[in-house]
Parts: sequence; C-alpha cells; structure tokens
Amino acid sequence: MNDSGPDRAIEAQLAAAIARCAAGERSAMRVIYDIEAPRMVGVARRMLRRQDLAEEAVQDTFMRLWRAARSFDPARGGARTWLYAILRNSTISILRDESRFVSDPEIGEVAAPATENALARLPESSALRRCLEQLDAERRAVVILAYVHGLSHGELAGRLGVPLGTAKSWMRRSLISLRECMG
Amino acid sequence: MTDATEPHRTEAAEYVLGLLEGEAKAGAERRLVSDSGFAREVERWRARFAEFDDSTAPHAAGEELWNRIEASTAAPPPAQPSRWAKLWNDLPVMRTAAIGSTFAALLLAVGLGAAIRQARLQPVMVAVLVDGDRAGAVVHAFADGRAILLPLTSMNVPSGRALQVWTLPSRERGPVSVGLMDRARTLELQLKDLPRPGPDQLFEITLEPAGGSPTGRPTGPILFKGNTAQTL
Repeated sequence: MNDSGPDRAIEAQLAAAIARCAAGERSAMRVIYDIEAPRMVGVARRMLRRQDLAEEAVQDTFMRLWRAARSFDPARGGARTWLYAILRNSTISILRDESRFVSDPEIGEVAAPATENALARLPESSALRRCLEQLDAERRAVVILAYVHGLSHGELAGRLGVPLGTAKSWMRRSLISLRECMG
Repeated sequence: MTDATEPHRTEAAEYVLGLLEGEAKAGAERRLVSDSGFAREVERWRARFAEFDDSTAPHAAGEELWNRIEASTAAPPPAQPSRWAKLWNDLPVMRTAAIGSTFAALLLAVGLGAAIRQARLQPVMVAVLVDGDRAGAVVHAFADGRAILLPLTSMNVPSGRALQVWTLPSRERGPVSVGLMDRARTLELQLKDLPRPGPDQLFEITLEPAGGSPTGRPTGPILFKGNTAQTL
C-alpha cells in the first residue's frame, strides 16, 4: 500500500464504510464488498487453493467485520490493513482446521515456482521485493511460503526437509534481516 | 510506550504471519491490547507484507457470495447487547418503561439469571455458532469468567440423544465438554477449569448420545460452530 492518490481515496472510503458499519448501517458492508471482495477472494484462494473455502473465509471476514466494526481504531492502523488482518485470521483458521483441510501433496510441487512467482508479482519499486531478494533462496522461501501460502512452522520444516527448530530459526533470522532492510 | 525489543519484533512478525499457536498466540493477542509498542510493530509488519496482498490477482466475488454474507450478518451488531445492558442497569428507566412483550421476551432470551446480572450483562467475548449461513446459537463470555449459550433456533434432538457443547481452549488440549442439554435452551457453560476464553476460540455443538459423548471427545455430527470475537 503506497501513498498514491487512488489508494488514499480507497483507504478513506473503507474507513468511512467501517464507521458506518459500527453504527449498524448494513449498506456500508456492500460498499466494502464492492471495493475489496474480489481481491479478498484472491488472497484467500492463494492460501486455501479452493474457491469454496476462499469464499467461506471472505464470508467469515465480513461477519467478523460487522461484529467488530466498533473496535476499529484509525489511530492504531489503516482500514485496509485491518480488513486484511481479519481476512488473514479467518483464512488461517480454516487452513489450520485439520479436520477439514486435507493435506494436499500438490503444495510441495507448486511451492518452489509459486514463491518466485509471488516475488515477481511485486512491483519493481517494492522495498519488500528488494529486501527479500537480498536473502538466500531458502531463507526467502520460508517467509513467502508462510505469508503467501499460510504454511505453519511444521509445514515449512516438512517442505524444506529440515528439523522444526531449524525452520523456526531460519524464519527468525529472515525476519530480522527483513526488518533491518525495510526499516 | 517503549519500542519493541528484538524478540518482540520477531514475535510481532510471527503473529502477523499466523505462525503462533496456542499459548504463544494468546500471549501475543494479550500484548496487542496491553502493549502499544507491540501493537505498532504488528501494524508495521502488516503494512510491510501488504504488498503481497495488493499484488494478488482478484477472483470472482459474485452476488451469491454477497447474499450469503448478507444473510449471515442479519443479526444486529454487538452494539445491541450493551444498549440492553445500559437499560438494565438503569433501574428508573426499567421501572417507568412500558415493556412490551417482545422486549420482555428479548430480555428473557438474553437471560435473567443471577449469573448474568452479576456479570453486568457485558460480554467480553461473543461467538456466533453457525451452520453455513444459519446462526444457531450465541456464546457470551463475561469478564468474571462465566459464559452462557443462548440458542437462536430450535434444534432437532432425536430421542436418546443430547446436545453437547464443546470448546477448544488450545490445540494441544483438544476439545473439552462445557455443557450438555436435552434440548436447545439457555445454558451456563462450565468453564471453571479452563483458561478464560480468548479471541478466536472455537465453540461447537454436537449431537451425542443422551448423557453425553462416551469418549469425552465429540463423536457426533457438528450442528453449529463458531469462534469468539472480542467485544468493546
């Protein structure tokens, strides 16, 4: 999210719509849906890989948004960040719910190109992209697999064929480097 | 108000990534509320990673999904219970108000038990238990550690069966039975031996043999389930 005009306008529209939701105006939910739902389904699909589960995550996000709209505090962060944080929680809940989520052997095969693909989709000017590119391929992969595909520490360890402790330690070091680089 | 230290910065990132589970996750959620430095660090990490979301290709989100959302949010937002709570605490209003039968029934549905009055009708956590887009019950968890389940619909219980309520305090511990009833009714949940419910804690109702699941774990079909959300 940058500071360009259209992004700021969307941010303002979303913040206003969340405030209207907090006041019980259901029509404001539709405003948010029209602006963000397609991207939200895309983000959830990236992790859940199924349209029906992705839609469930988005539906759950809107339910949580409706219930929690009054807790949104613009002083603490952006409206869009807040919305996607709820989406991420909903999506990860579904993903970690083992009773429904059948482990998909495909993820191992698609993961390697998918991480580079996610990186390539970032704009050339992106600080996230520049800083991730400075990491070794495996150290970069743990971060991208965790954020973009929602892998857990255990899944990362399995994917990379390393002990759980190693996966956790790689992750921490990657995050420290990333933070130093991005500031 | 100090800035987060290095381990906490990493913890903030791991929280944003969804890598924390169980007690570590609950701890981060508590810090998010109590530690503004930590909250700022979480917000910064969210903003740092947001470019991945921005660069994701959108997918179709049609009218059908919207209709489901609209149906699932048909209940009023949690602003309502706190308004009832104010009214309830305001005795002169209660004395003078000509309470219509609908409103009286509503108050009854919210529960007039001593448990609720003691908790001042102010839930700190609310979970709406749903089956698809049908809301079946609400769980209200109060600041004093009590919790009640309020059915929103009738539930079909064949003879020789019962409704059992479960919660998942942590993945390690697994589901714990917190209530049993022969039909859908307002029920005080038995959470005494459990940690206070945190945000995003699962509650569910399953159909079990009369007397409750013989294994101590859910064995029957899940009728309704939902996760807690923090109220104001």
